[in-house]
Amino acid sequence: MKIIYVLIPLSLMLLSLAIWAFFWAVKNDQFDDLDTPAMDILDDDEDQGHGLEDGEKSVNGKW
Amino acid sequence: MRESCFHCGEPVPTGTDLAVEIDGRPRAMCCAGCRAVAQLIHSSGLGRYYEFRDALPERPESGVDAGRFAAWDRDAVLDHHAPADERGCRSVVLVLENVHCAACAWLVQRYLGSFPGVGQCRLDISDGRLKLGFDPQCTLLSTLASALARLGYPPHLDTPDSALARDRNERRRMLKYLIVAALGMMQVMSYALAKYIGAGEMDPETEHFFRLVSMLVAVPVALYAGQPFYRSAAAHLAQRHLGLDVPVAIAILLALFSSVAITLFGSGDVYFDSVVMFIFFLLLGRFAVLLARQDAGTAHSALTRALPAQARRLTDEGSEMVGLVELTGEDRVLVADGEVVPADGVVLEGVGRVDESLLSGESEPRLRSPGDAVLAGSLVVGGSLTVQVTGLGRDTVISGIVDLLGEARRKRPRLAKLADRAAGIFIAAILLATTLAALWWWQHDPARVIPIVLAMLVVACPCALALGTPTALASASRALARAGVLASNPDALEALPRITHVMIDKTGTLTEPGMHVAEVRPHESLDHERIMALAGALERVSRHPIARAFEAHDRGLEVQRPGSEAGNGVYGEIEGQRWFLGRPEWVEQQIGQPHEAIGEGIWLMLGRPGLQPAWIRVDAAVRRGAGDLIAQLHGAGIEVVLASGDRPDNVAAMARRLGIRQHHAGLKPEDKLALARRLRAKGARVAMIGDGINDAPVLAGADISIALAEGAAIARTQADLVSTGRSLEPLQNLFAQAPRVRRIIRQNLIWALTYNLGALPLAAMGLVPPWAAAIGMSASSLAVVLNARRLGRIPGTAAVAAPKPAAALKRSPA
Repeated sequence: MKIIYVLIPLSLMLLSLAIWAFFWAVKNDQFDDLDTPAMDILDDDEDQGHGLEDGEKSVNGKW
Repeated sequence: MRESCFHCGEPVPTGTDLAVEIDGRPRAMCCAGCRAVAQLIHSSGLGRYYEFRDALPERPESGVDAGRFAAWDRDAVLDHHAPADERGCRSVVLVLENVHCAACAWLVQRYLGSFPGVGQCRLDISDGRLKLGFDPQCTLLSTLASALARLGYPPHLDTPDSALARDRNERRRMLKYLIVAALGMMQVMSYALAKYIGAGEMDPETEHFFRLVSMLVAVPVALYAGQPFYRSAAAHLAQRHLGLDVPVAIAILLALFSSVAITLFGSGDVYFDSVVMFIFFLLLGRFAVLLARQDAGTAHSALTRALPAQARRLTDEGSEMVGLVELTGEDRVLVADGEVVPADGVVLEGVGRVDESLLSGESEPRLRSPGDAVLAGSLVVGGSLTVQVTGLGRDTVISGIVDLLGEARRKRPRLAKLADRAAGIFIAAILLATTLAALWWWQHDPARVIPIVLAMLVVACPCALALGTPTALASASRALARAGVLASNPDALEALPRITHVMIDKTGTLTEPGMHVAEVRPHESLDHERIMALAGALERVSRHPIARAFEAHDRGLEVQRPGSEAGNGVYGEIEGQRWFLGRPEWVEQQIGQPHEAIGEGIWLMLGRPGLQPAWIRVDAAVRRGAGDLIAQLHGAGIEVVLASGDRPDNVAAMARRLGIRQHHAGLKPEDKLALARRLRAKGARVAMIGDGINDAPVLAGADISIALAEGAAIARTQADLVSTGRSLEPLQNLFAQAPRVRRIIRQNLIWALTYNLGALPLAAMGLVPPWAAAIGMSASSLAVVLNARRLGRIPGTAAVAAPKPAAALKRSPA
C-alpha cells in the first residue's frame, strides 16, 4: 500500500496540470466560438484561389 | 409557381430576365445585385457555397459605392479599430450583416483568403463578427470592405463594446469555476470511492491519509469555485434580503468546515465529495442560464451599427473623408442626401429634411435649417447639411438610447421577480425548519445533527424555482432570435398566448415597404422587354418611391435631356425619340393620344408622340407569409383587425384577399390608438403588429407590441418583439411558440415546488444522506434547465431555413 504515497501526489500534480491547461485554453479564446470550427472539417483542403477547374473537380468528386 | 432567384431565393419579378449561366445551365436571378454576387462567387471558384449553405442570404444591395470605405484606410481610423503588430500587420474586428450559416463563414473566409496579405480570417457565425488580420502594405482595408459588401455582407467597424467584453469575461470566469469544480469533483470522488469500496479493510492510517488528501483538494476547490455563491449570498445579506444563495453558501461552508474539523481533530463522516459535487452541479445550472441569457442578447449588438464609421469633414481647402474617431468638437461636417448624421450638432448651412425616427420614433422627416439641432443617427432624406459638431461618441443621444436598450435586456422578467420574492419567504421558512430540526436531533442523536442540517439545506434549495422562468424565457428568446424575432421584452412571450385580438397595419406591414412592377401590358410595336428598358432608363432621374420599382430593370439605355415633373411623371429623349412615363392624364396630354379606361390599381402610361401607349401597373407586394399568418391566427381563435391609414377600397381589397373580417380604413395614428383602447376597454387583450416607425404610439398603446424591421431600423423600434427580415414567417413561428413557452414555464414551477416541498420532510426525518440531497437538488435544477432548453428548438424551422430541397430541384434537369 506504500505505493499510494507516490500515486496520490502524482494525481495531484496531474490535477494541477489539467487545471493549468484548461485555464490556458480559456485565456486563448479556445472556448469562445464552438460552432464555426466544427464546420471547418467539412471544408476539404482544396487550393485556395481562383482555380475554377480544380473547384469543379472537387465538386463532382466529393459532393 | 413563379421562379425563385438562384442566389437569394426571392421570387423573380415577372418580366425580369437576368439569367446567368452557372455550371452550364442558366440560373434565374431576381435582381442585378444577386446576379453580380452569383457571378463573383462562381468566378472565384467558390460555387460550392450553394451546396453548403443551410439558410438563404439576404438580397444584396445593387450598387456598392467604391468610396464608401475610403476613410477606413486612414491611419487614425486604423489605429483606433485595428491595432498593428510589430511587423506592421493589423487585426480588425468587423461586424458583418446577413451572416446566416456555416456556408457564409466558408465563403467569406475563402474569398478574403484569396487577397494578398490577408492572414488570420475567422468569422463567428453566431454573431457575425469577423476577426481579420491583414497587411495594409498588400491589401487596403477598404478593398476588403468593399469586397465584402459586393458579396452581400456589408461590413461595419466594430466599436469596442463594453457590454460585449463584460459578457465574455463573465463567461470565461464561470467557465474557469466550472472546470475547477469538475476536475476537483473527479479527484475527490476517486479518493472517496477508495473508502467506499474497501470500507472494512482500510487501516486507520491510510484512511486518515485519504481524508487529508481529500481536504487538500476540496478546500481550495470549494473556496475558489464556490465564489459566485459566497459573493451573491453576501450581497443579499448586505441588503437584508434572503436570496437564493444564502442557504447554498451556508450549506457549502458548513459542510466544508465541519469536515475540516473532523479530519483534523475528531472522528465521524466527512463530506468533501458531497460539497464539491454540489458546487459542480450548481455551477453547471448557472452556466447554462448564463449562456442562454447572453445568447439572447447578441442579436441586439446590431444596434451599435447605426452610426457610420466615417464623416466628410470640411476644411479650409474643401472636404475630406475622415474616420468618426478623428472628429473633434470643433469640426464641421458635410452630410449629403441619404447619409446618416455622424454626430450631434447644429446646422450651419443648408436646408434639408431629416428622418429622426431612430431617436424620437417620429416618422415624418422634419425640415432642418441653419440654427436647428440635428442628432447623430438621423438620416438626411432631402438636401444636404453643413453641421457644426457639438456631441460625439458617448455624449450623443443615440449612445444613451443604446445603453437603455442594453439595460432592458438585463432586467429580470416579471415572473422571475415574483419567484424571487416567493423564494425569499421560502428560504426564511427553510432556515427556520432546519433550525427546529437541528434542535430536535440535538436532543435525541447529536451525531446526526450535521448530516441532517446539510441534507435539509441542500435538498430544499429553491434553485429550480428561481431558474424555471428565466431559463425558459431566455431559451425561447434565443430560438426565436435565430428564427428572426427579437424579444426585447421577454415578458411579452409569456403574455402572448392570452391575446384575443391582433391589430395589424397594412402599408409596410402586410405589404412590403417598396413598390414593384405588378403587370405590364405590351402591344405589337412595344414588347415587354423594351417597355421595361425604357421605363428603367426614364425613371433613373426620379427620387419618387415608384421609381425604385424600376431600378432592377434599368438596362443602361442612354437618356438625353431627362427630367421629371412632380406628381406627374418623367420624360427624356431615348434614341432620338421623346418618351413620357407617368400619370395617364399627363402622358395623354404630352403625346396627344387619348387613353382607354383601364382597371383599378396604380397604372402608369408609357408613350411617345405617334405611337400607341403601353401600360404598367405598380403595386406594393404583399409580404410572404401574410395569408398563412392570418389563417393561423384565425385558427387559434384570435380576432384579426386590419387598421390602416389607406383608402377604404384598397383596405377592403386587401382584407378580402387575406380573409380578414374586420377592417378599418383612413385611420390616423391617434385613431388607431383609440381603436386599440376601445378594444381593451371591452376586455380584449390586444397585440399590435406594425412597422414600428409610423406606428410607434399605437404600438405603445397595445398590450403587446410587435414590429417589423430590417437592418438599421431594428434599432429604431421600441416594440416588445421585433421581427426582422422581409417575410411574415417569423411571426408565424412566434405565435406558434408562445403557448409552448407558457406551458414549459408552468411545468417548471410546478415541478420545482413539488420537489422542494416533498423532499424537505424526508430530509428532516434523516432519510436523505447529504450526498443524495446534493444529487437530488442538482437533478431538479438540471431537469428545469433541460426542460427550458426544449424551447431552444423550434419545430418546423428546419423546413423554413433549409433551401436544399429547392436548390436540388433546380439542379435536376427539368
